[in-house]
Amino acid sequence: MRRTFGQSLSLYGGVLVIALAIGLPFWWVLTGSIKLPKEIIQRVPTMVPHSFTLQHFEKLLQASDFPIYLFNSMVVALFSTAFTVLLALPAAYAFFRMEFPGRNALYKTILLAYAFPGVVVLIPLYGLFAKVGLIDSPVALVIVNVAFALPFSIWMMRSFLATVPREIEEAAIVDGAPTTTILVRILMPLIAPGIASVAIFAFISSWTEFLFASVLIVSDVRRTIPVGFAGIIGQYQIDWGLLLAGATAAIIPVVALFALVGRWFVAGLTDGAVK
Amino acid sequence: MKNTTLAFAFVSPALLFLLAVLGWPLVQAAILSFQDVGVIGSEGHFIGLGNYATILGDAGFWRALGRSVVWVLSNALVQTLLALAAALILNQKFPGVRIARTWIILTWIVPTVVVVIIWRWLLSPSGGMINPLLIQAGVIERPVGFFATREGAMTTLIMINSWRWFPFTTLMMLAGLTRIPGDLYEAARIDGAGTFQRFKRITWPLLQPTLMVLGVVGTLLSFNVFDVIWLLTAGGPSGATQTLPVLIYETAFKGYRLSEAATISVLTSILLMGFAFLTTRAMTAAEADR
Repeated sequence: MRRTFGQSLSLYGGVLVIALAIGLPFWWVLTGSIKLPKEIIQRVPTMVPHSFTLQHFEKLLQASDFPIYLFNSMVVALFSTAFTVLLALPAAYAFFRMEFPGRNALYKTILLAYAFPGVVVLIPLYGLFAKVGLIDSPVALVIVNVAFALPFSIWMMRSFLATVPREIEEAAIVDGAPTTTILVRILMPLIAPGIASVAIFAFISSWTEFLFASVLIVSDVRRTIPVGFAGIIGQYQIDWGLLLAGATAAIIPVVALFALVGRWFVAGLTDGAVK
Repeated sequence: MKNTTLAFAFVSPALLFLLAVLGWPLVQAAILSFQDVGVIGSEGHFIGLGNYATILGDAGFWRALGRSVVWVLSNALVQTLLALAAALILNQKFPGVRIARTWIILTWIVPTVVVVIIWRWLLSPSGGMINPLLIQAGVIERPVGFFATREGAMTTLIMINSWRWFPFTTLMMLAGLTRIPGDLYEAARIDGAGTFQRFKRITWPLLQPTLMVLGVVGTLLSFNVFDVIWLLTAGGPSGATQTLPVLIYETAFKGYRLSEAATISVLTSILLMGFAFLTTRAMTAAEADR
């Protein structure tokens, strides 16, 4: 059905408002990071930069600890992602494709863990990590990140597994293939988008995690971006150019990742959502 | 497929991991709450329900709880309205809708610290974009400090957190909307129902299950928000934005009263689990009625 003029106007008006509400702040940060300092703090801000400089990025990469934070964040996020996928995949398969006693109760308990307040286990976890000597170690962050990403990741696999016809597995069973072979050889390629979604979710969770990283990591050289960066905010008199360049540099990896597999991630998020 | 042993072999790594990293610490928190540990790593003695008496008799705890309730309810209201509007728009067909559906989530995938820098800068009285815009629009006469007053700080935090989270809520609602059969709208149109009538009679009632799930999950998720508050106001000015998670963090790591912090953690968990249990039960009952 065709829209009336008024309907079109309100639809595109709404689209514009959303685009501006989300995009404009990012536009300002992006353009701010290449403005000269005096343009950044100008009384009447400019929408389009009038000056161009890479001095903030130079300072960020050469005079600050940002490259170290970036490296630490990458390492923690990649390991967190790998372990989340390794644990979530078989668990999701069992929950959504197999039958076993206590399945529903276990599944619900795991779901509850998704909304579990991190700060509640922060204190005892600190004690436990201290006992085994994992304070100030990226291993501790990986463990925590995997634990908090896991419940949602399992849940997200549901809609992707549902797209695979059961006949495919049944045919393989009749052919006498062992279950692990079915999982690895036949199912994996079919649910690749699901694996990508779980990976991106785990990566983003780790990339943005602040609370545990602020407590479990003590020395500056082991910090990840969120905590290290928060330290830069308060360090000197606020150097907006440096912060905006840092913000831009922290956005780029997740945006790049999202550009590659974001579509699947959104599908995974929405398809399983209402069940 | 029936193969119980294999199923348990698949589930148990994830399950044991969660038990060790989330379940066991919860037990530890409970034990800690019956002791008198101060600084992390120091030894404590069993003092029974002493901490519970202290915390429940402390006005600061109740004020933080009150702020958490205000925080959760305001966030729920703002985000539901924004997300509903955005979801209704993204549920239409227009050029670029696929791109919009993917990239709307941009605010949610960047680190919180980036969100914090963005808004601290935009709201800053010197050089920020928002003050000049508001002055131009005639809303204010001179630059204002958004975090300077108690109410201002809370309101600003709620807006920023909602900006970060409403796209996530939008996608969840969009999932609910796409499940409503298009035939219903066609039939209503043929019967002469207008846009508002269709929303009121079809969209709104059929969206209820989605909204209820979002109500539960959203409440728990926004209750847990810590980093945005901590990095923007650290609970200030003078405690005005100190919600329960902030209070727990401060008690443990600034006040060095570990056992008291564990006690607040246990009380918080009881509260949230009670909430989750009661609401999911109510939801199951509502579904059975239908």
